[in-house]
Amino acid sequence: MNQRLTSQIVRFSFSFLFCLGLLTPRFSHADSTAVAAAGAPAPAVAAAGGGDAVGGEAVFKANCKQCHAINDVVVGPALKDAHKRWPSKEKMAGFIKYPQKVIDGGNAYAKGLYDKYKQYMPNHDFLTDGDIDNVIAYIVKESENPTVAKEETKVGPSSPEKGSDEGSGLLAPVIAILLVTLSVVIVLLLVVINLVSKILGQKREDLNESDIDQLEGDINWSILFNHPLFKGVVAFVFVVMIGKVVFDKFYSIGIQQGYAPDQPIAFSHKLHAGMYEIDCNYCHTGVNKGKSATIPAANVCMNCHNVIKTESPQIKKIWNAVENNQPIKWVRIHNLPDLAYFNHAQHVKVGGIECEKCHGPIKEMEVVQQHSPLTMGWCINCHRETVVKTEGNAYYDKMVEIHQANHGTKKLKVEDIGGLECSKCHY
Amino acid sequence: MKFIYSILVLTGTSLLFGCSKDPNDPGLEYAPQMAHAIAFEPFSQVTDTNSEFYNTINVNSGGQNLRLPASGTIARKHYSGMAKGELAKDIYQYNIPADSLDYAAKVLINPIPLSPGVVEEGKVLYGRYCQACHGEGGLGDGKVADQYKGVANLVAKSKTVTEGHIFHVITYGVRRMWPHGSQVNSDERWKIVHYVKSLGNTPQ
Repeated sequence: MNQRLTSQIVRFSFSFLFCLGLLTPRFSHADSTAVAAAGAPAPAVAAAGGGDAVGGEAVFKANCKQCHAINDVVVGPALKDAHKRWPSKEKMAGFIKYPQKVIDGGNAYAKGLYDKYKQYMPNHDFLTDGDIDNVIAYIVKESENPTVAKEETKVGPSSPEKGSDEGSGLLAPVIAILLVTLSVVIVLLLVVINLVSKILGQKREDLNESDIDQLEGDINWSILFNHPLFKGVVAFVFVVMIGKVVFDKFYSIGIQQGYAPDQPIAFSHKLHAGMYEIDCNYCHTGVNKGKSATIPAANVCMNCHNVIKTESPQIKKIWNAVENNQPIKWVRIHNLPDLAYFNHAQHVKVGGIECEKCHGPIKEMEVVQQHSPLTMGWCINCHRETVVKTEGNAYYDKMVEIHQANHGTKKLKVEDIGGLECSKCHY
Repeated sequence: MKFIYSILVLTGTSLLFGCSKDPNDPGLEYAPQMAHAIAFEPFSQVTDTNSEFYNTINVNSGGQNLRLPASGTIARKHYSGMAKGELAKDIYQYNIPADSLDYAAKVLINPIPLSPGVVEEGKVLYGRYCQACHGEGGLGDGKVADQYKGVANLVAKSKTVTEGHIFHVITYGVRRMWPHGSQVNSDERWKIVHYVKSLGNTPQ
């Protein structure tokens, strides 16, 4: 209810602001084109007219975006309505070109900015007057654009996780509702059948003989049940099912496939690796260098989360760990028994195998689970099928030569270079 | 009697097939004596100190096997006071303090000779460690940059800064960017420097 009320208020205020924007005389395209026309160097831009803000967007993205956003304070102030804070456009353009000169020159507003943000903005004298006009037009357009403002607030860092939470949370009640409706339907059907047969029973005199036969006729089930073929089929199916269950249970001893433990922090690979396309190596830095892919230390999390979503209770857990100098106790998922040796670098760096080959669709996993069985059969099978990447690696030249001498055109596979030797993995 | 039988069969089958596995349950371990390492493993998770398989040396407060270097360990070389050529030889040690960006920008030279192969390697490393924020083309338009804000445009920036500046910034960070020295070693950082420099050279 509260949320609905706030969204109503937000909607109302946006429409109100929009109307206000339409009514008030604007410091906008008309003005900027006039100034651009007055400035001799950029007549082409002035002629373009409506293209100003579009050109400005490109300039903004290339030069301003690093430190400024329209609605958020980044390194420098938020630029929404920045044009209204300057007495004239020339003054604003002058500041963009030589900020330090304006600040030291005693402009009160510029001085205030410097006091607040504690650094000079670099000079932008390399921008042409036309570029600066375009950028200002862009800022004007973005400031007055209610839809963009709305989007910016919506696309807060919280939105993706919230969305996915809703997705997974919705499923359970939906299934429950479906089940309940199904059972209600079944009960109703039973009632209807009961009623119909009762009515039929009362109106017996209207029915002919075959109908009555059908109504009263009792199927002799015992003939079916006592038939040896029926008994045999039932017994067979039962034994097969029990056998399968017993086999599955025994086979899963020592295999953790599907293991998806709760982690101390609800980290989502779907969000980080999937949606934001952060490379696996960024956090698992050991994967190209050593046996273990390594679990990142908290400083790697903090590279982004010093800014992003700092108020989230999950992120606060990381801060907690950092401040108390305690490791985050992630639960290990892939527990290869010590009797077998596995090295990540050998497979990822030398073999060039993608992470997903063994770890499955990690970019879609909200909670990571063990995708592969990690059984010996699974390892061996891959060693039998995988062709060694020998191209451009002089180490393999001699081996390829000998292999081709013995096996003709057959490709050099991992099994041919000792991939099935017991002592490769067990020692 | 028949009724009771059928009830028994029904509950039996539902018990056998109905239960799904608890995702938190790793399952039954086979031959644990062979599964647990005798040597100290970096990611051992046996926390029960009475367990037969507890193999953690409690040297740090987190109960892990990670250890700090022995007290009195000295880093291999100090850059300060080294001649430029000498400095170039040792790329693995980096002792310029974090606040000396200008100094690093002035004195450091890239010890790895520029070649197309090195730029290609640098590109791969850039894709791993930089691209999420700085974007594929270096324009500061990576997917994370939308959230993080204030990500530098490397195409424009690399034209105006020295290689030493880029190296120092990757190592210790600058302004909003946090240090990445723990993720990429200096060898890799110099390769990334080559690639970032090449971004500025490509005509737009």
